[in-house]
Amino acid sequence: MKTIEFEILRSRIEEEQEPVWRGYAVPGVDKTTILGALLYVQEHVDPSLAFRYGCRYKCCGLCAVEADGRPCLACHTYLRDGMRIAPLSNLPVVRDLVTDRSALFSKLRKYEIYFDGAADDNMHFRESETGARLRACTECLACMATCPEYGKGQDDFAGPFFFVKLAQLDLDPRDQGNRIQQAKKLGLEKCRDCAGGCRCLNGIDVFRTIRSMLK
Amino acid sequence: MSSHYTCDVLCIGGGGAAVTAAIKADSCGASVILVSKEPLGYGDTRMSMGMLAYPRIDKNDGTEAFLQDLLAGGENINDPKLAGIMAEKASEARTILEGFGHFYQRDASGKISVEITHRTGGHSLPRTIGCPPSNGVGIGNSLRAAAAKSGLKIFEETVAYKLLTDGKRATGAVCFDLVSGQVLVVTAKTIIIATGGAGWLYYPHTSCSAGATGDGYSLAYEAGAELTDMEQIQFAPFALTHPSSMIGLCISDPAIAGPAGVLKDGSGQIILENINTRTRAEVARVMATHLKKNEGSAYGGLLLDLSPNLKSDAGRKQWDRRNMLGQLSMVRAAYGERAYRWEEPWDVAPTAHYNMGGIKVNAEAESAVHGLYAAGQAMGGVFGANRLGAASLAEIFVFGEIAGAAAAGRARGMSMPGTPEADAAACQLAGLIGRRGSTPPLVLKRKLQKIMWEKAGISREESTLREALSEINAIRQESEDIRISSVKAYNREVIHAIELKHMLLCAELIIISSLTRRETRGAHLRLDYPERNDVDWRCNVIVKNKDGKPEIRTEAVDAIS
Repeated sequence: MKTIEFEILRSRIEEEQEPVWRGYAVPGVDKTTILGALLYVQEHVDPSLAFRYGCRYKCCGLCAVEADGRPCLACHTYLRDGMRIAPLSNLPVVRDLVTDRSALFSKLRKYEIYFDGAADDNMHFRESETGARLRACTECLACMATCPEYGKGQDDFAGPFFFVKLAQLDLDPRDQGNRIQQAKKLGLEKCRDCAGGCRCLNGIDVFRTIRSMLK
Repeated sequence: MSSHYTCDVLCIGGGGAAVTAAIKADSCGASVILVSKEPLGYGDTRMSMGMLAYPRIDKNDGTEAFLQDLLAGGENINDPKLAGIMAEKASEARTILEGFGHFYQRDASGKISVEITHRTGGHSLPRTIGCPPSNGVGIGNSLRAAAAKSGLKIFEETVAYKLLTDGKRATGAVCFDLVSGQVLVVTAKTIIIATGGAGWLYYPHTSCSAGATGDGYSLAYEAGAELTDMEQIQFAPFALTHPSSMIGLCISDPAIAGPAGVLKDGSGQIILENINTRTRAEVARVMATHLKKNEGSAYGGLLLDLSPNLKSDAGRKQWDRRNMLGQLSMVRAAYGERAYRWEEPWDVAPTAHYNMGGIKVNAEAESAVHGLYAAGQAMGGVFGANRLGAASLAEIFVFGEIAGAAAAGRARGMSMPGTPEADAAACQLAGLIGRRGSTPPLVLKRKLQKIMWEKAGISREESTLREALSEINAIRQESEDIRISSVKAYNREVIHAIELKHMLLCAELIIISSLTRRETRGAHLRLDYPERNDVDWRCNVIVKNKDGKPEIRTEAVDAIS
């Protein structure tokens, strides 16, 4: 039977082990996604393989990995022969393809990046198309994995994920916070001289969104 | 060995119902711990289309009309008290959600009006609003932000293994933190279960999120709560049948068929027309009957042919609208360009979508166990035998608030309970790590899922249900001898083992309830009792744990007061 061969960057197979590339083969059926291949390996080859997934189609962002160095959603990318699958860059690895996402929530709280307003039916308005689009951020963290500045690991730069959240709040007419000022405190100015490169797997133009906050 | 925490209210779950309940309890002054198996704000809430149904947007629509739709759709075995609360309070759901930061689409003048409503499955009037393009993802993000704003203490990626009780009241839970590999013991004055449904029992034939393994039903049942109508599982009719990683993903409601779409069997014979006027349950029942007779396609599905729509303006408009809403992108990814353009039929099969049954609660969302509450899909009764389209989102916010307020109120003035049995349960759980048996728990899960789909799924009969029951008992035996690696960080195998325990129990309760209801009603299709029987079966099937064995009883549906 035809098979597809690929590699996975495994970390901490036993405790404290250095990352190592391991080769796998899955049956080459029609349209095998990376997620399909990972599920196959977990079920038939090595049940200890660690990866995250949730919805199986583009909603939850949990299955984001890097394939041949580019971030992608495992559920929405077809596996190719010779592909190398690794965890997202710039993020601490818990094990195998699983990165530590806990800071995501704790920083929303610490930086106070949440809606500050009230639902009020007496206010009549529509949300801008851009604002509505920014709400659709799947929180897959591809933007953080591809941000050159965030990769430097400096504490004074929150990263594009949080700037997108602040841009969304800035565009919400009900929100009371000064979100631009907040973003600048979190290092937004560093994006001014950046040539871009942060990627979104869900069609948000992260670079342009950040630029619009710097005007 | 384990970390210990105490709180007034422990909330288990991480979707809309759990976050709403926890935030409500927090705002009532309770100290709250929230334990979520997925990252917070995930689960089925995030996967939903974000559609929200509630009455009175149109001046011709009212609470009574909505209630009548709920009861008719639920084929009259809904809990009328709970359905009444739902009809009365559904309009508050949007306010709660928008208070978290989410935003629903408005008309040109910036108002919620009848102009922007849709009529979704089973509703007699258009009363459903949407929030494209973010849909459920936007709701999930708002839930995370609102939780960050609150004072909740949150454990993400932490699964509940066992509830603690002192025989009379719920006193806490023993949990496993996946990322650190630590066992957590939480002692609480009251507990809210909002863990969603059990669609994953039918994987890959489910549109639910991977965490929907029925944890809450199993936890509550073991603690002594009653479960109602567990046999009522909604199968959405049109899901993908291939490629393998996309099986079960839900494409759409019957409404997608448009004015002219038809359903054909594997040989191309038309088996159903006028699809867009039928409920999910009606379409799924027709499909189940044909699939049972092996009249399906090579992929085990039937063929949904939407091409007749392309001959009329109305039909082509339907394509435009669906395409704009992004509802065709999944078909394009799975079946290609011609299918995307409706020029080629889609291979479709029903998929497990929603559990109407669940933990039986009173009007304060409290179960039969003192201090144990439930909200959202984990609770049963609101929807009876079939859920209307866009109705579950309203339910999670309405009953999330009710449960949160009641649990906080009850905790006030209560003393912190003791949990003498916690250590034994924590030891048992810690013992899973590095277990040296023979079978990985994931393999047993797959076996169980196959049995559930083939023998207790879209069509059921006594003989195969009984086979399923004995096969499940055999898996339970095997589950005594599981093999789990000894890594600490992110050991998913431990989660598989815990989920397997919950799933085995849920499967058994679903099958026993299915055997009990000897009629066909709503989502429950009995091939050996193909008719609805109002004389004998307009009642709820209730199961509880009696000395370690499930005890079944039926209870007449309350009259509407």
